[in-house]
Amino acid sequence: MPLLAQLQTIYQRKDQLWLLIWLGGTLLLWGWNRLFLNAPALARVETGFANTFIIALLVILLSAALGWLSGVGLYFLEKAGNSLPYLTLSFLLNIIRSIPQIVGILLGYILITVQIQSGALQRPGAVIPVIAMVISLFVFLEISDLVRERIAYYRKRDFYNAMQVCGIPEWQIVNREILWRNSLAHLFNKLISIFGVTIFLLCSIDFIISVGLSGNVSSVNLPATLGSLLAKIDSKQDILAIGHVLTHPGYLPRLFFEHLQGITVAFLIVFTLLCIYKIANGFARRHEL
Amino acid sequence: MSLQFNIRIAKHRRTFIAIDHFEFPEQKVTFLFGESGIGKSILSKAIYGLLNPLRLDIHINGDSYPDYLRSARTQKFREAGFFVFQEPSSHLNPLIRLQAQLREGSLADAPGEQEILRHLWNHTPEQEIRKLLEVYPKPHRPSGGEKQRFLLAMAFKKLLRMQQEGRAQEGLYVFDEPSGSLDNHFRNRFLEMLFQRFRKGPFSAIFITHDYSIISEIYSRHADLREQIAFKELSRQDDRLVLQDFAPRAYLDWLKLEQSMETPPGDRRKPLLTMKGGYEIFGKKMIFRRNREEKGPDPGMLQIHRGEIVYLKAASGVGKTTLAKIIMGLQPCRRLEMRIGELAFSENTPRRVWQQQVWAKKIGMVFQHADEALNLNSTVQAVFAGLPIQPPLTPASIVQLLNELFEGTIEPAFLNQKVSLLSGGQKQRLNLLRTLALDTDLVLLDEPLNGLDFLSIQRVIAALKEKQQEGKAILMISHNEEIFEAVIPVENSYYLDFAGGV
Amino acid sequence: MRKKLLEHISSIILVSAIFLVLIYHFHSGYRQVQTRQDARIAPYLALDFIDYDDPLHKALLKESLNIFQPGQEPAHEALIRAIEAYRAAQIAALTRQQRNLQGLSFSKLGQLSGMYVNFILVYLIVMLLTYYGVQTLAVLRFIRLQQNRESYLAELASFLQRRFRDQPKTLHLRDLRRAAALLGKALLKGLLYLVLFSPAYVIAYSFKTRFDTDSIFFMVLLGVISNGLLITYAQKFFTFLVAESRKGYVQTAIVKNLENRYNLNAAGGVSLGRVLNFRKRFPGHVFQHIFINARYQYLATIKEQASFLITGLVIIEMALNIQGHLCYELMQNILYRQYDIVLTIILGIFLVVKGTELASDYWQYLEARRYDNEGMG
Repeated sequence: MPLLAQLQTIYQRKDQLWLLIWLGGTLLLWGWNRLFLNAPALARVETGFANTFIIALLVILLSAALGWLSGVGLYFLEKAGNSLPYLTLSFLLNIIRSIPQIVGILLGYILITVQIQSGALQRPGAVIPVIAMVISLFVFLEISDLVRERIAYYRKRDFYNAMQVCGIPEWQIVNREILWRNSLAHLFNKLISIFGVTIFLLCSIDFIISVGLSGNVSSVNLPATLGSLLAKIDSKQDILAIGHVLTHPGYLPRLFFEHLQGITVAFLIVFTLLCIYKIANGFARRHEL
Repeated sequence: MSLQFNIRIAKHRRTFIAIDHFEFPEQKVTFLFGESGIGKSILSKAIYGLLNPLRLDIHINGDSYPDYLRSARTQKFREAGFFVFQEPSSHLNPLIRLQAQLREGSLADAPGEQEILRHLWNHTPEQEIRKLLEVYPKPHRPSGGEKQRFLLAMAFKKLLRMQQEGRAQEGLYVFDEPSGSLDNHFRNRFLEMLFQRFRKGPFSAIFITHDYSIISEIYSRHADLREQIAFKELSRQDDRLVLQDFAPRAYLDWLKLEQSMETPPGDRRKPLLTMKGGYEIFGKKMIFRRNREEKGPDPGMLQIHRGEIVYLKAASGVGKTTLAKIIMGLQPCRRLEMRIGELAFSENTPRRVWQQQVWAKKIGMVFQHADEALNLNSTVQAVFAGLPIQPPLTPASIVQLLNELFEGTIEPAFLNQKVSLLSGGQKQRLNLLRTLALDTDLVLLDEPLNGLDFLSIQRVIAALKEKQQEGKAILMISHNEEIFEAVIPVENSYYLDFAGGV
Repeated sequence: MRKKLLEHISSIILVSAIFLVLIYHFHSGYRQVQTRQDARIAPYLALDFIDYDDPLHKALLKESLNIFQPGQEPAHEALIRAIEAYRAAQIAALTRQQRNLQGLSFSKLGQLSGMYVNFILVYLIVMLLTYYGVQTLAVLRFIRLQQNRESYLAELASFLQRRFRDQPKTLHLRDLRRAAALLGKALLKGLLYLVLFSPAYVIAYSFKTRFDTDSIFFMVLLGVISNGLLITYAQKFFTFLVAESRKGYVQTAIVKNLENRYNLNAAGGVSLGRVLNFRKRFPGHVFQHIFINARYQYLATIKEQASFLITGLVIIEMALNIQGHLCYELMQNILYRQYDIVLTIILGIFLVVKGTELASDYWQYLEARRYDNEGMG
């Protein structure tokens, strides 16, 4: 395909366009930081960025697994008329739903801190999956609900009955025909949103902990993320400079040289959230979800 | 004079509809046949000006769609015409009362509402109609047939108003499958009103349908208008659409010549299916009669033997499909007394008994809407995956199976074709083949001619005759009475009815 | 509805019971010994020449143990950690004593109630403002879509392209003004997007480092514009509008010749006043059909929006460390390990969520009842 036509296609496919914008923007920022940010600070930002994204990726994997299993499990339990396990499971899920995500994750972090202090969680590499697990526990319900919604949608139509009376096993109808063949785009779109929500929650919780609970967790070595970097006093001073620019526009160029660490971290968080939102919308629009 | 259109419709730079001559005579009623999904509706919507230029790239007679929409002729089509859509359920707003929907926009001060409703609801007490007008349209209330009649009533209100203003000739009236949810009685009431209005003053109308029996109705009761009526058929030839004249005689002659499917001699002591004394569903007692007029107190018995084809008829909305689901254990009901081979079933039989003993073993069922019954995101080959057949179907055996109902020679590449890209008729035939592949003794067919063109209808009827000759029993459920009355012996017909009559 | 009501009430009762037991458990714990020494660490704590606040001393102790008891490095590591944990607990207990923090009391409960009322008030105001904002923004965006307007940048590109194709040699001031206006609008829109997606603390710390005055106004403002709440749910409502606009009944409305133009304030178009009105109605226009159906679907997402909003408010209160606010109190009490107060606050927040779920389900039930023809013959 000629280059112009390719560019036109990408312009029309907003999800791909925004993915490119995000990658390009992040690379550009990294290049700028390589030139103007001191090496230790750059290393901190790189580590924070990497940790944040590894945790977010783990969260979407865990949420996909938990959501699929719980959604399908609830469906079969309900259908089998197995009321006690069904009621117990749906009751538990409803309780998780009623706890604001940030509060639930905060409680999870307290437990992680206790575990680290007691020596149960010793290796730093083990903390990241546990954090991902805690966050997944409070975001996977969106996948679970979507799985059940999709099954219910097809149950109402002849699709389900027509396959059943042809002797096709029910687990195959649910897992392969409904979820795999007809819901992957929906699930993928939800996972993109969960990726965004995770980054938001993770940065917020790390920021809160670093600002408000520093005394309690200073002795605990939690992995650095964009949120915890933002809470550091020098980063806070950097973002305060943004407000200063509003009243002193002449100060603007100095933001990009003297306040780079805080500005980079804040921009990375906000820019990533915006791009993920645009990618999810573009994807939904392209697949007419 | 005729209206001529050259139409191209593309999406994401891929043209999916192209026709050089989409034309129909002005001031006449054109009946447009063709298999479902071929493009009759979208072409009609395109010329009426209903497609969204933001979502589709459309050119009509060389003009871009926005230019076409701005043209004076298109504006008049819309200002003085009306479009009755198929699928009445989705074409009424569920959050606005029917009465308000019947009286908004250009229908607000249109005359004749009461007369129109009275005509379309023949025999229904006025009070019942008034109650219906207060209702918010929901999936089961009003019924599909009632919703359809409300949409028709809107069209007639507009037509009456335009005729009074002397502008009906400027408009375009499109009826897209308007009788899909109506039984023959109400369909004929609607046709009567349409032609009555046409006799008062002609207008241009396109009538999209798969119901070939309309031809008989026109030839017998509206023969005076034969010169004002055109029959056309849309078909696909080498990736292009072609609109040709359809000869109504071809259908009438085929009907006359078609042989009845007599039951071959065999053992009648062991029926494959017996339903005694009717059943009760949604608080109503249902019974089987041997003919429409019979009004005896004792419910009849539905029985099917090997090699027998039984035709089950009922008025629209009585519950033919529900009965099929009851037989298959998909719909619970009360007072069920049924035997499938040696197995007895009652209202207390759990669903798993059907799952273990009946589905795909004793009875196969073809659901009426292929679009819903098939996984549109799978391939043709995957439609046959997972069927409990030993030995499992190979690509070669699937091709062999497809050759039974598909025209020409099936190429292996066709097996990888996505189901969503098939035409409506192809989907319906695939739907049928999936069940026939199970090789059960009894096959339950719910509206198997849905969405088929005349050629496909002939092919399906021929295939069913072949299956019957092989010893299969068939329970046929269809509103297409004219065709099935011609091919199924009258002694094999049953009539499903409410115990107290309708 | 009865089933849902039962589900909500039973979970409220069960969760409250569990929380109350835990609160009682933690509260009664204060009357007992505040800190317990582990017999394993007692001999090491008695060594008064070691300063456990000094990392060097801790490292020396660990090294010495490793030398004198080789092969038990993990056990020594655990021992050092146990000492740290004990000392942290001791410091927390001491702080509690010094600050006279004795867990939940009636006066504390009274204090918390005031904060709780304040929290609910802010929550209700933000909810109301976002309910309006979500619908208004989505409707404006939908109208723009129907007008087939390009983005400002695309508009600028096609303007420049057209301009240089038609008059390549001349340059008018008005052209420059138009190009600058389009560029300005594009930048402003981009900036607005960044603000709407910013977590509250990024916006807040851009202006202040301490938050003690005008905190309610500031919280309401941040609650509405930050954390992506407004934009996420406006997008949801917009998606409902787009999906509904493709439904069959809209086509029926069009063929009935209802107004179908989307020019703002033009004849046959949509009036801006109606778009900005709290109760939006568009009589005689196809959009009325679309709007009421989209709004009906939006009702089902209000629960989710409320939960997201509560998360946002908790973040705001915690991250900004605003004294005298409920979640600031939550953080402080986690810090001083006053878990009875922590649980009381969490129970309070849980009850707000449940209350919202109940109210939202009931509202939905009432609407559904109306449209399901209940009570009709």
